[in-house]
Amino acid sequence: MKLSYQWLCEYVDVRDISPEALADKLTSAGLEVEAVTPRNQGVRGVVVGQVLTCEPHPNADRLKVCTVDAGVGEALTIVCGAPNVRAGQKVPTALPGATLPGGRSIGKVKLRGVESNGMLCSAQEIGLEVKLLPKEQTEGLFLLPDDAPVGADVVTLLHLDDVVLEIGLTPNRSDCLSMRGLAYEVGALYDRPVRFPSPAEPAASGASPVRVTLETERCPRYDAQVITGLTPKPSPLWMQMRLLAMGVRPINLMVDVTNYVMLEWGQPLHAFDFGQVRGGHIVVRQARPGERLVTLDGQERELKEDTIVIADPERAIGIAGVMGGENSEVSAATRQVVIESAAFDAASVRRTGQRLGLRSEAQQRFEKGIDPVAIRAALLRAAELLCELGGGRREGGVVSVVRGQPSQPHTVAFSPARCNRLLGTDISAETMRGVFRRLGFTVEESSPDLWRIEVPTRRPDITLEADLAEEVARLVGYEAIPSTLPFGATTAGVRTPSQRLRKRTREVLTGMGMTEVFTYALTHPGSLDALRVGPDAPYRQMISLRMPMSEERSVLRTHLLPSLAQVAQYNLARDVAGGRVFEIARVYLPARLPLDEQPSERTQWAGLWFGVTEADVWNRPRAYDFYDAKGVVEGWLGAFGWLDQAEFRPASAPWLHPGRSAEVWLDGERIGSFGELHPETAAAFELDVAVYAEFDLDLLVPRLSDRWLVTPLPRHPASRRDLAVVVGRDVPADALLAAAREAAREGGENLLEDIRVFDVYTGSGVPEGMKSVAIRLTCRAQDRTLTDDEVDALVGRVLAAWTARFAAVLRG
Amino acid sequence: MDVKELETAVLQVQREAEDALGQVQDARALDEWRVRYLGKKSALSQVMRQMGTLPAEERPRAGEVVNRCRERLQAAWEAARTALSERLLAERLASERIDVTLPGRRQERGALHPSVRVIQEVEDIFLGMGFSIAEGPEVETDEYNFEKLNLPQDHPARDMQDTFYLTDTLLLRTHTSPMQVRTMERMRPQAPVKVIVPGRVYRRDEDDATHSHAFNQIEGLVVDEGIRMSDLKGVLEQFARAMFGPEQAVRLRPSFFPFTEPSAEVDVLCINCGGAGCRVCKETGWIEILGAGMVHPHVLDGAGYDSRRFNGFAFGMGVERIAMLKYGIEDIRHLYQNDLRLLRQFARPV
Repeated sequence: MKLSYQWLCEYVDVRDISPEALADKLTSAGLEVEAVTPRNQGVRGVVVGQVLTCEPHPNADRLKVCTVDAGVGEALTIVCGAPNVRAGQKVPTALPGATLPGGRSIGKVKLRGVESNGMLCSAQEIGLEVKLLPKEQTEGLFLLPDDAPVGADVVTLLHLDDVVLEIGLTPNRSDCLSMRGLAYEVGALYDRPVRFPSPAEPAASGASPVRVTLETERCPRYDAQVITGLTPKPSPLWMQMRLLAMGVRPINLMVDVTNYVMLEWGQPLHAFDFGQVRGGHIVVRQARPGERLVTLDGQERELKEDTIVIADPERAIGIAGVMGGENSEVSAATRQVVIESAAFDAASVRRTGQRLGLRSEAQQRFEKGIDPVAIRAALLRAAELLCELGGGRREGGVVSVVRGQPSQPHTVAFSPARCNRLLGTDISAETMRGVFRRLGFTVEESSPDLWRIEVPTRRPDITLEADLAEEVARLVGYEAIPSTLPFGATTAGVRTPSQRLRKRTREVLTGMGMTEVFTYALTHPGSLDALRVGPDAPYRQMISLRMPMSEERSVLRTHLLPSLAQVAQYNLARDVAGGRVFEIARVYLPARLPLDEQPSERTQWAGLWFGVTEADVWNRPRAYDFYDAKGVVEGWLGAFGWLDQAEFRPASAPWLHPGRSAEVWLDGERIGSFGELHPETAAAFELDVAVYAEFDLDLLVPRLSDRWLVTPLPRHPASRRDLAVVVGRDVPADALLAAAREAAREGGENLLEDIRVFDVYTGSGVPEGMKSVAIRLTCRAQDRTLTDDEVDALVGRVLAAWTARFAAVLRG
Repeated sequence: MDVKELETAVLQVQREAEDALGQVQDARALDEWRVRYLGKKSALSQVMRQMGTLPAEERPRAGEVVNRCRERLQAAWEAARTALSERLLAERLASERIDVTLPGRRQERGALHPSVRVIQEVEDIFLGMGFSIAEGPEVETDEYNFEKLNLPQDHPARDMQDTFYLTDTLLLRTHTSPMQVRTMERMRPQAPVKVIVPGRVYRRDEDDATHSHAFNQIEGLVVDEGIRMSDLKGVLEQFARAMFGPEQAVRLRPSFFPFTEPSAEVDVLCINCGGAGCRVCKETGWIEILGAGMVHPHVLDGAGYDSRRFNGFAFGMGVERIAMLKYGIEDIRHLYQNDLRLLRQFARPV
């Protein structure tokens, strides 16, 4: 909402307060002023001049030589290039020494041999709001009305000395969508009287030629007045300037008056050409199925039954509260209008506007709620202005049709003590009384601590005691609220297991060199194509937005790989040689589509290793591989105490390389998988080798352990044996270890403390298709030092198991 | 042979030995010297063996001469050995010198995402004040995202947040505030309720330098008997001091949210200039970091806390905005582009 400082001063005298100070005050009261803009962008020394003569320039085809009476003694000779310059016109005239917006200064100059003593100005040259002016006012000179006094300063004449405050209104303050509401607000803030005149009720006149019928409950009230004898003409300069200051386009007197009164009273009005209202009968009803209307903007609109229309007995002539129809538009031929001032159902207007993609000034006011008191007043005011300025006369009186109860000021119970308790303040009853008086609310004190506050209809946002408490705090100033701490029971703040799991995962992964990324959950429906998952795979069940902003962000992801692959692409394209990144995020898995309930949102961590190690020149870069990822996965599992139980099995995920990927199982549950990307997946993401891991954190929450317990240190030494066995190339190392552990357990007392692979060798000395695996066994008993015989027996059992299962041969 | 001759022989040996010792360069030569001059077959030992040929009265004196010489040579050997080992050590140290300015075998740490850093920091501050952390669904119902927050269908305040709808009744939450209601419904009738809610939220906004269709919010909610707006101010002041520094102050300005009444925008002293006025705070000295207010009676009653008995306050802050202010990030998109050259800067402080 824009606020003209000069216009405001007409209702409440704040001339002693600068626009900037007023802006600060409004902002601190919750009406945030976003900009304070003087209308004068640098005009000085520009006056009204009348063109006396206008002759062709002797040396230039496109220039004219004019003599201009600018009220400075003798007429000035001014060379002018504007195509529309004519003798007799009154135009803004920059005298020598004048300045114009942009710091431009005007002096005496010779133009093609003729001396020019100033400049005749266009709208743009004097900084008017050219975007809001009709084309004919912006092409060439800005023509002033004939009654503009010669020599008068245009700054005053065109209200350029006004300042406009741009207010970012919150949706509750519908009252401040008008000068009237803003005047009351400013009056309350400064405790100054507000003079806002109500238009006089004209003496009773004959019957009105218009008949109004309300056929819908969504129009509780409709007032209409017919004005006749109008001639089409522009509105007076002062009105145009006020409209411009408030950001409204001046059009012609009839339209401008409706807009002006809307700005004044907050009540939207509409003028219909009464000659086009068939039968002189206005019907307010719901639209009929399939009904169409061409609106004022020339668009043909299909109306829904939900829409309220203004109609005559034959056809719709306007969409209520949103936009009028072209068929009843006020035109140059219009001599008689009917002005509408009505109330329409806010929700219905809002839905209609949204559906049609319209957002008119009128619609915004209806949506947020209008003041019923203003309906008749605004209509009387518009009629008054049309009669006064347009030479019209009222034909009959105001026709007013009301459906249901007219709204009344409402009362709200208020306790000063409760107000102070809510705010944590100690504001006196006297001060609170003053606040309500300033706001124009009436206070009835039933008892010292039970007041009844009568709220005027212009403030529909005040319905509860809490609303009144906010008014008190707002007018006293929020800075009066002290700082305290809640005095209730003490509570302990702890993270849930799920939060601890994620936090520790982040710590562990970053500790191992992984960098966390944050990617969008909304993605492209084709993002899964690279993953080689079938058309029926559950991953394809992606929830889509109804109205996406782009296809790129139109569905909720079911998989994290496409997002991480995009991170890799982005970085590789920017001279980053590689990286290891992870994200902890949700995937959105609907039970079925179309969606009929909230989906399951599962939290995963996913990692991607791509390109080469982030090396300085020293540590030679190398491509990340499977074992980089496995090392991190093992480190992560180890950090939670899960590594010993974890089983790594070959994976079958279609996006992973079948021979270079593994699933991780814990106690018979698959918790995740990792591996090199399938070459086709990698190629589709335009990546060379990359390794991807994903784990379901929700599955792991119940397994989170926060127990830390030591086992006593061994008191007897361990015996170590290193064995190298030759087995087939496809025998997994893990199978050898598992077989050894099993063989060790079979001996009754388990003496095998630890077993691990320390080398794998293929090449000379090892037969083709075989590999040599070097394994270290650590043996220990808790109660004695093991003898060589005991260790030999264990090793013998292990070797026997290997030989039996894998045809392993001990290497010499 | 008499004593005189013996003495001459000993001195001869001694001179020879001392000359030889001067020539010794390494451990092996030193060892050879020891064998030769102090060993069992040394010249001195041979002289000792000849002592038997001397008259008995001369033997003490002869013994004294020989012993003195032996002690002298022994001491010389020890001194030489020490000197030699010192020299060898010095040579070894010199030869083992490396260029300590070359880089080490670095174990690079990774980095948390800046938005996550902010969330964790905020969480830790409120955990310390006795808040728990709740989390909720991103796919929300219209009922929880709007209606139970005093935003009925067709309410103009719904325009404040353009919404991604999935169906008539399901949407991507536009704020973390639905968790106010979900938390109260889960907790009732217990009091106090003290919770913060971090999470992703979505708005139908075009992505630009200051807007993102997806971002993170942190909601806060306290409900109890006797909660005052001054408590809101006090708690946020503590938060601001812990988050932005001990000199911080907060300022409340009236505002409007459908689910709080009274409502406030909350400013802190500009993180960049400390309140003096700069480009970041548009010369005002203050920057807005969150919206807040007293929980609206309709919201309390709807969630099962009788508004005649209970009060509460709620607040919500944008994580990215704080991250941008705190870390000097000028464009919100930088937080989602995941440029590793930027993210890796969060592996270590400046």
